[in-house]
Amino acid sequence: MRKVVTGNQAVAYGAMLSDVQVVAAYPITPQTTIIEELADMQAEGLVDLDYIRVESEHSAMAACIGASMGGVRAFTATCGQGLFLMHEMLHYAAGARTPVVMANVNRAAAAPWSIYSDQTDSVSQRDTGWIQLYCEGNQEVLDTTIMAFKIAERIRLPAMVILDAFFLSHTSEPIDIPDREAVRGFLAPYDPGDLWLDPDNPRTFGSMCTTDVYMEFRWQIQRDMERATQLINEVQDEFGRRFGRNYRQVEGYRSDDADIVMVVSGTVASTGRDAIDYLRAKGETVGMVKLKTLRPFPRQEIVAALRGKKKVAVIDRNFSPGATGVWAQEIRGALYELPEDERPIIYGYIAGLGGRDISVKAIEGIYEKTLQSDRPDDIDMWIGVKYV
Amino acid sequence: MKYTDKEVQVPLCAVSTTSSLVNKTGTWKSAQPLFVDRVSPCNQQCPAGEDITGYMYLASQGRYEEAWTLIMEENPFPAIMGRVCFHSCEERCNRKEHDEPVAIHMVERFIGDYGLARRLKIPVPEPEKNKRVAIVGAGPAGLTTGYHLRRMGYGVTIFDSSQEPGGMMLYGIPAYRLPKEVLDGEISRLYGMGIEFRMGVRVGKDIAWEVLDTQFKAVFIAVGAWEESSLRINGLNKKGIFNALDFLQEINLGKKPRTGKRITVIGGGNSAIDCARVCRRLGAEVRIIYRRGEAEMPAHTEEIEMAKEEGIEFLFLASPVAVYGQEKVSGVKVEKMALGEVDDSGRRSPVPTGQTSDIECDGMIIAIGETTRVSELPPFLSHRGGIVEADQMGQTPCPTFFAGGDIIDIPHTVTHAIGSGKRAAVAIDRFLRGIKGEKGSPDLSKWGDSGNISLARLRGASLFCRRNPTLEVIDYGDMNPFYFDCRPRIKTKRIPVDARLKGFQEVAEGLTEEEVLSEARRCFNCGSCTECGNCYIFCPENSIRKDPGGYGYIADMDYCKGCGICVNECPRGAMTMSLLEH
Repeated sequence: MRKVVTGNQAVAYGAMLSDVQVVAAYPITPQTTIIEELADMQAEGLVDLDYIRVESEHSAMAACIGASMGGVRAFTATCGQGLFLMHEMLHYAAGARTPVVMANVNRAAAAPWSIYSDQTDSVSQRDTGWIQLYCEGNQEVLDTTIMAFKIAERIRLPAMVILDAFFLSHTSEPIDIPDREAVRGFLAPYDPGDLWLDPDNPRTFGSMCTTDVYMEFRWQIQRDMERATQLINEVQDEFGRRFGRNYRQVEGYRSDDADIVMVVSGTVASTGRDAIDYLRAKGETVGMVKLKTLRPFPRQEIVAALRGKKKVAVIDRNFSPGATGVWAQEIRGALYELPEDERPIIYGYIAGLGGRDISVKAIEGIYEKTLQSDRPDDIDMWIGVKYV
Repeated sequence: MKYTDKEVQVPLCAVSTTSSLVNKTGTWKSAQPLFVDRVSPCNQQCPAGEDITGYMYLASQGRYEEAWTLIMEENPFPAIMGRVCFHSCEERCNRKEHDEPVAIHMVERFIGDYGLARRLKIPVPEPEKNKRVAIVGAGPAGLTTGYHLRRMGYGVTIFDSSQEPGGMMLYGIPAYRLPKEVLDGEISRLYGMGIEFRMGVRVGKDIAWEVLDTQFKAVFIAVGAWEESSLRINGLNKKGIFNALDFLQEINLGKKPRTGKRITVIGGGNSAIDCARVCRRLGAEVRIIYRRGEAEMPAHTEEIEMAKEEGIEFLFLASPVAVYGQEKVSGVKVEKMALGEVDDSGRRSPVPTGQTSDIECDGMIIAIGETTRVSELPPFLSHRGGIVEADQMGQTPCPTFFAGGDIIDIPHTVTHAIGSGKRAAVAIDRFLRGIKGEKGSPDLSKWGDSGNISLARLRGASLFCRRNPTLEVIDYGDMNPFYFDCRPRIKTKRIPVDARLKGFQEVAEGLTEEEVLSEARRCFNCGSCTECGNCYIFCPENSIRKDPGGYGYIADMDYCKGCGICVNECPRGAMTMSLLEH
């Protein structure tokens, strides 16, 4: 079914089609319409779920963890400050191996107060043990939501579906809403196996651990995150076969023969496609790589995609104060294993914080700057910063 | 990818099959919740010391027999109380801060009538020999003392100069306020309890006080206040002039005193209103003359209101100075008064103005207050102004003699008399058992410092949850009224005025069971646990549980962390936090 929907509606459709059983959420702009849409869907009888009203995002995640431990499929959505408030529970969800799925609408961190998009909220949850899946458009948002449940439940780690505030959350585009039975064929009901709170078999999960076993539990999370890299590809492949839409963790665009490659994520990718086409039309040998997963970080695929390129320009819509943009850090770390003659020079750019546009012209500027300098001016370069 | 040489054998998530109860989180706390029984303002206010919160709770569940039994712990006359008590409890009701006070008296009347209709009885032990108490005066105070002493195992003989027991309840209160069959029903229950009545015997004349003192272990005197205060004006010997108590007594004996067609009643108390309303029922035009203003009238507001409904006129700020007429009264000369300074009674005093006017009438009733007939008291008891010297419990300086009712320093109401009778019963019991001082002091069983004693509290009787009784009175601010909705008080109904004036039919109508349930459920049960379960629901540690021993909840101190949420969420202040010393 073709339908014109916003990114937030796409999330709600994804959760509804996944037959989510518990939603515990707290409203926050620009996420609120996701959980409103789900509440409407519940009221209309489109989905049989228990909706838990909570007093904070911390409680929302705690309730989702509890529901998940109870053996059901749990979902929530948040953004920015709400995600920060959840931080403790994010670690807990991963440590407790609960496959909760959450939509995070990328919103800039306060202060100063902002409701507009950047990735600082989600990238600063990088080390919580959550799978992070970034989306470029509303169709990808819907499809990724469905896939996220399958990935999370297979690997028993929580997954975050990430979309840019307003650029996706409140922008409508026509997308295909998959058939419900087709989704059910792709995504079986959640099976918690042996790990669930059975009232008839009382057990404590995540109880106090001594020094001789704690490390083993953490090691298993790492082992399974590494396995997830492969699993995500399998799930994307299966989705592609069933629904005809193919997604990759690392997707090249006109990058095979490019000397300079721009690395982007989220909605910048869609602007990037136009910028690359424009530059290619002018005869430039430039390409783009779009990244979908920050965690697990697809190290080998990135190495394969960037090996032997002259220069790589990473555009980060986020930054880590005192270091660099997070995607750039990750790519530098991944490419370090290449021999020096195959290792590209990395140009790190910070752009579009707090919802500022990253236009075709801005991307063209980044390309020009990368092309014309032999070495980067600095470890990262801020694009379009005025008044300083 | 290799992190270790061998595959580890642990589950994905730490799983423990051992109960987490081994972690005694209760050791973390620095304060602990306590279930307490605080005193509701109504219980504190009740002159008879009834457990109003308790019986409202039972009535709210339709447990009327238990409610009746709970009232009978403190007061032998619930059906009378529900009618004649001026229910000052309702003025103190915490619910008045929320919407309107609970109509306590109407629920009590229903419970009392329920007991009467089913002829419910109170079990009593056989009287012990050589433990007999004499009671002089069969009014509310004497009957109450006899009732409580009988329940404690004493033999009781009640003497009264009248032919029938009841005292002022029988001879002073008109039937439209207290129907005769209600009074008879309540008193006849006492006959069934083995109390000996010796009616028509005037102690001091027919039998000497000293004889009583030797034949009985203790004597309780409650002969009442039957002496009408006299007006200091001339001409009161004319025909057609009555004093209030004589008039009401004749009416209640079924006689029809010839008062006249246009009656002037002098006075502003409840007796004045009673006389006026009786006269209206006898077909007379009635005017009440009172020397202060309406706001200063000691009569109860509802009584004044009903008198007005019945067409009784009021002349305020007027004081009689002379009576007109030859043999028979034909009018009264009154002086206009003004309000002056506040006097000892807390009301503004009347000040003569010198202006006079005349009022025509062919009958006059004087109802300006009553005092003890000191000739009826034993000569060896000291008294001043008709008030017998006695301590708070009613014991006189002659240790075997106790006093109560209208002859001691308490307001002259049936309820206060009943309360004094209860205190005296406790005092007599302690005296005869030789208990002195702090041990088992009844003070700890009071409804608050200024409240009356509760016999149920004194006996530790737990018909209802009464744990850790305190003397602390709980006000609205100490509760969590979030849990109470707002609902208006039940409207009490009265029969129409024309039906009232045809005879002595009871004016106030009773409630239906449905109305009683609804009204009893309005009660906050301030300070008492009603097993609402909020503590249980809110405890984050699951450490509140149902008391396996019976009523209410307990906190498991092994796991209670002392957060205090239960105490915050208790709607009625039946919990408190207590700091622990480490």
